[in-house]
Amino acid sequence: MREAQDTEMESTPTIWAVGGGKGGVGKSVVSTILAFWLARMGKRTVLIDVDLGGANLHTLLGIKSPPRTLNDFITRKFGSLEEICIDTEEKNLRLISGSSEVLSLANPHFSQKVKLINHFSRLDADYVVIDLGAGTSFNVLDFFLAAHEKIMVLTPEPTSIQNAYIFVRNAVYRRLSRLSSKIPSLQTLVKIAMDPKNELQVRTIKELLQFIQESGGKDVAEPFEKEIGEIRPAVITNMVKDNKEKNAGRIVQIVAEKYLMIQSTNLGTVSHDSQISSKVSDMVSLIKLDQSSHAFGNIYEIVTKLLGD
Amino acid sequence: MNERIDKHSSLVGRIIDGSITIDSVTKFEELLKVFPNDPGLLRFYADLLKKEKSLYAAAAAYGLAAKLFIESGSTLQAIVSKIFEWRILKPSQKEGQAFYSALGEGRHKDRPVQRFFAEMTYPVMIAFIIELMPRYFPSGSMVKKFGDEENTLYFVVSGALKETDYHRLETGGRIQKKSTKDLVENDFFGEIYPFEEEGVSQSDIKTITRVELAKISKSSLMNVCRKNPDVKLLVGHLYRSRSEFVEKELKRTVRKTVRHKLPTQMHLKIFQDEPGKVPLNVSGFSEDMSLGGARVVLGAKYETGHADNLTGKNVKIKIDLPTSSDSLSILGAIVWSQEVYLEGKKTAVVGIQFKEMTDTDRRLLDGYHYGSDGEQNLIWSLWDSLMEK
Repeated sequence: MREAQDTEMESTPTIWAVGGGKGGVGKSVVSTILAFWLARMGKRTVLIDVDLGGANLHTLLGIKSPPRTLNDFITRKFGSLEEICIDTEEKNLRLISGSSEVLSLANPHFSQKVKLINHFSRLDADYVVIDLGAGTSFNVLDFFLAAHEKIMVLTPEPTSIQNAYIFVRNAVYRRLSRLSSKIPSLQTLVKIAMDPKNELQVRTIKELLQFIQESGGKDVAEPFEKEIGEIRPAVITNMVKDNKEKNAGRIVQIVAEKYLMIQSTNLGTVSHDSQISSKVSDMVSLIKLDQSSHAFGNIYEIVTKLLGD
Repeated sequence: MNERIDKHSSLVGRIIDGSITIDSVTKFEELLKVFPNDPGLLRFYADLLKKEKSLYAAAAAYGLAAKLFIESGSTLQAIVSKIFEWRILKPSQKEGQAFYSALGEGRHKDRPVQRFFAEMTYPVMIAFIIELMPRYFPSGSMVKKFGDEENTLYFVVSGALKETDYHRLETGGRIQKKSTKDLVENDFFGEIYPFEEEGVSQSDIKTITRVELAKISKSSLMNVCRKNPDVKLLVGHLYRSRSEFVEKELKRTVRKTVRHKLPTQMHLKIFQDEPGKVPLNVSGFSEDMSLGGARVVLGAKYETGHADNLTGKNVKIKIDLPTSSDSLSILGAIVWSQEVYLEGKKTAVVGIQFKEMTDTDRRLLDGYHYGSDGEQNLIWSLWDSLMEK
């Protein structure tokens, strides 16, 4: 799949994908508030729910039953994504509601996803924010890798840190696997490297690239290195309660740099906000919440940082 | 809910915490084929047999559960299983001593509660457990409220509870929330020591999951102590050593439980019993997978018929790891199934026992979920240096 940025033209939206592996770390809430602030800043924004485990982003925007979903587009009830966009209470913010059934269980073919990404890029918007949901399936990784901003959300818990790291690891190997798909010898090498106890003693991406260089030459290895270098996830540590917990994202950054040669950005932290937790449980639209809270403020700063990059 | 409680997300954990209910002996037996050595599961199986009035079978299951608990170092859980066995079949002196000896071989002293039981002599243990009353509490039950008289010592046998501490404000007698913590198996609560002090509870303790507690009243414990003065020393040590072990155990349990969290998509080809009948192709997700088996929630859009019909069927599992150009292919059998509702539609959750997998696939699956030892170790090393409080 081509990077969205490769096809970017002046009128195409910038795509932000929000993933991170583990469920329950607040990806949907962060996606929604990111999109909210973009809209509030005057950017025409579309929020898309491709959560495989359970599409429910609409509830965070106070929409009980979305009249149209991504499923209606995939099954060709509607010819364009514009037709399935739903207006929200927030000016400049529209929603494409998800449908876990089609995306998760039919597992769209790679080419279908390419088409879908291309359709995302044709939306009449300045920004598209994709909530990827949990897991590291093909769908999640392919959408993540295709986005301009690859945002990872994690929480200061061991499982979340571990899963966020595995998410990046699998994203890197997914990219390598795609790249090597037309060169059988390299594909075999990548597969061997994925085995954590492989006999070649390849334990890091750097070592794998050395092997690729030895077997295929510098010209073969360079594109791999370049592609990996372009996976620059931006890390958000969510639900932070104290200063020590702010280090959670740093752990993923350090391990990813050492083992995967990934340079990631630390976008910052979002404070734990009991107001959000309770309102999400009550299915109250996040837009109606007190936007002066710490969490809203933190995400505003993150949006400012992303727009400044 | 913190990570100490996350371990209950496994299939067995879900049965233990009450989020999955199995009320059929046959289904339990199918499940025990997948997890034959899981003492927690055997305990529930024994409870079900007792409920069904199959008392001798229940006693045997309690006995086996106790044996397996001992092997896994779970002294308290072993004792509670044995209490139930002995309530059905009264033990001889010889049997009692054999159990005590077996406990001695498997005794762990990592935690205050484990040390408490490990250091008992045989007569003390018998005197103590005669007074110990196991009891289940459903999820969401208030076990102890702020202001209640402190007159009971509780041991957590299984499940998880939340303790919310309060303190009284000097003005107006109002209370203000101070802190919360989670209590899990092998923790204890109930401020009854020193015995001379008569206190009231400074906290609310509420169950998060279904919980089994073993309790002993303050008066009964004081009686045991009068007859066996060494018990009072053990009780004193139990309370004194509580705080220093909490953090240590938190870290240990966290490391034990960071697995199987990533949803993984699977495609199943379920073979029919009748010759020539076309296999059923279904897809689903697993968030609960080990190298031995998986719990898979089937996609709602597939019509599988009644879930019971799936049990016993052979199955070929295809896992498309996104990081690999090839799929993993595993042969297994559905050994347990239950109907569930997914997105408002009826479908099934199945327990699959893996039977055949190549060594390469096994390692790839391992790497996909956890990464290498070096990556894991670095994450934990950084956790210790950057996050430990």
